[in-house]
Amino acid sequence: MFSMPLPLFAEQIINGIVLGSMYALVASGLTLIWGTMRMLNFAHGEFYMLGGYLFFLLISSLGLPPALAVPISISLVFLVGLAVQRLSVHPLLGRPQWEFSTLVATLGVSIFLQNAALHIWGERFKTVPYFINGTIDIVGMRLSYQRLLILAVAIFAMVVMWYLLRRTRFGMALRATAMDRDAAMLYGVNVYRVFTITFGIAAALAGLAATMLASINSISPWMGAPLMLKGFVVVVLGGLGSFPGAILGGIIIGIVETLGVITWSSQWREVISFTVLIFILWFRPWGLFGVKES
Amino acid sequence: MSRLELSGVSAFYGDAQALFDIDLVVEPGEIVAIIGSNGAGKTTVLRTISGLVKPRNGSLQYDGRDLASATAWSVVSSGIAHVPEGRRLFREMSVQENLMMGAYHRNNVADGKVDLERVYTLFPRLAERRDQLAGTMSGGEQQMAAIGRALMARPRLLLLDEPSLGLAPKIIETVFKTIREINADGVGIVLVEQSAQLALETAQRAYLMENGRIVKSGDASALMNDDAVREAYLGL
Repeated sequence: MFSMPLPLFAEQIINGIVLGSMYALVASGLTLIWGTMRMLNFAHGEFYMLGGYLFFLLISSLGLPPALAVPISISLVFLVGLAVQRLSVHPLLGRPQWEFSTLVATLGVSIFLQNAALHIWGERFKTVPYFINGTIDIVGMRLSYQRLLILAVAIFAMVVMWYLLRRTRFGMALRATAMDRDAAMLYGVNVYRVFTITFGIAAALAGLAATMLASINSISPWMGAPLMLKGFVVVVLGGLGSFPGAILGGIIIGIVETLGVITWSSQWREVISFTVLIFILWFRPWGLFGVKES
Repeated sequence: MSRLELSGVSAFYGDAQALFDIDLVVEPGEIVAIIGSNGAGKTTVLRTISGLVKPRNGSLQYDGRDLASATAWSVVSSGIAHVPEGRRLFREMSVQENLMMGAYHRNNVADGKVDLERVYTLFPRLAERRDQLAGTMSGGEQQMAAIGRALMARPRLLLLDEPSLGLAPKIIETVFKTIREINADGVGIVLVEQSAQLALETAQRAYLMENGRIVKSGDASALMNDDAVREAYLGL
């Protein structure tokens, strides 16, 4: 790393930010669900997987351009997210030990969706072409258009999420529910509707990440699990339930991994991200943006 | 008219019965106190009225509407606002956002803005702190914000759970003066207080609860002079 020329180093930092922005999308969905419902969603990786397959089908079977296939894919994943929440999580909420039963239920959904994908689409890996080819040279750095596009989409998605959370009536209801569920209900928030829609939004964010990464990584029934694990690392690093934490945590992990992989080798990818996690948790057990439990 | 009536209400937390056969009436514009020691079920009565706890038996009516089967989030639109024990503000929202949450159910930002000015007139302190995060304010300011949030809902009946809890005597005086002002505008009030003295001085009528049951009720002045109440709750 230290013998690397500066432009190459900067190039890798940008690649790390691009990768990290996708981790941030996946993690922000997990953190939204944790923040509002106080539950872990183990089917999150499968929403990512579904996003990948739906995108693949729209591109290769229907021949749609990415500009149409991306919004359609994430809308469909949003609807799947709503359905999964209503059918598997919603009936358990508020019952004894629901924190545990919802976790098991989403794990069940995860296994179901993986096997369904395996039966429907088979185990052969699928790929989609780059949306745009070519690279651009900026002050000695060579960056691919595809990666820059991914970064632009991620930033756009974050701005939309910020607007949704901070400036809309639904965002007020969501934040109120996250801070105090009973008080939100007392002032007219149907918290169960907030839970369902939040689940859908989280699924759509994972689906969006999948459409963006589809041309770089390949699509398979098992593509979700490693990314969800990475999502959990990012969420814990950033602070459970914190949206800015998920973004910053994602970018930190993305950069560290990218630099680590070119310095050592890609086999060390997971070791590197978990080492960073453990190291940061020594000093801030509540995560970068989390709130210290009193 | 907007009369609240509970009759024969029982409620449970899991298997544990918290309320037994509660009969309670609040006439429009009245201040009714519920007194009793810790754990007597006072808070549960309020939580049942506002739908956070579902009654297992009995009837619960407000303004001719059956609240026993209503969802918790629909109760506020029938004119009941609940200021819960411990204030329960949205801690990481600003004071102004908290107040606007009080008007959430009306879904009318213009109306909300009008009411906001009224609350700021009633509590000038909140106007100064409008951009501050609610969780960082003092206890007294938080209590004002919690009452302000409830007023933003335009209630005809206000449920107040331990408004004096943890406040300095001077602040308590201000809070109770405000409560009387709100009542003077025709808003009915159910006041749950551990400080029986304060509650009986403020209310017109009162109920005394023990172990989930109502054991005495009547005019506040009559309860104030009741020997058993004086001995057990007023320390006289």
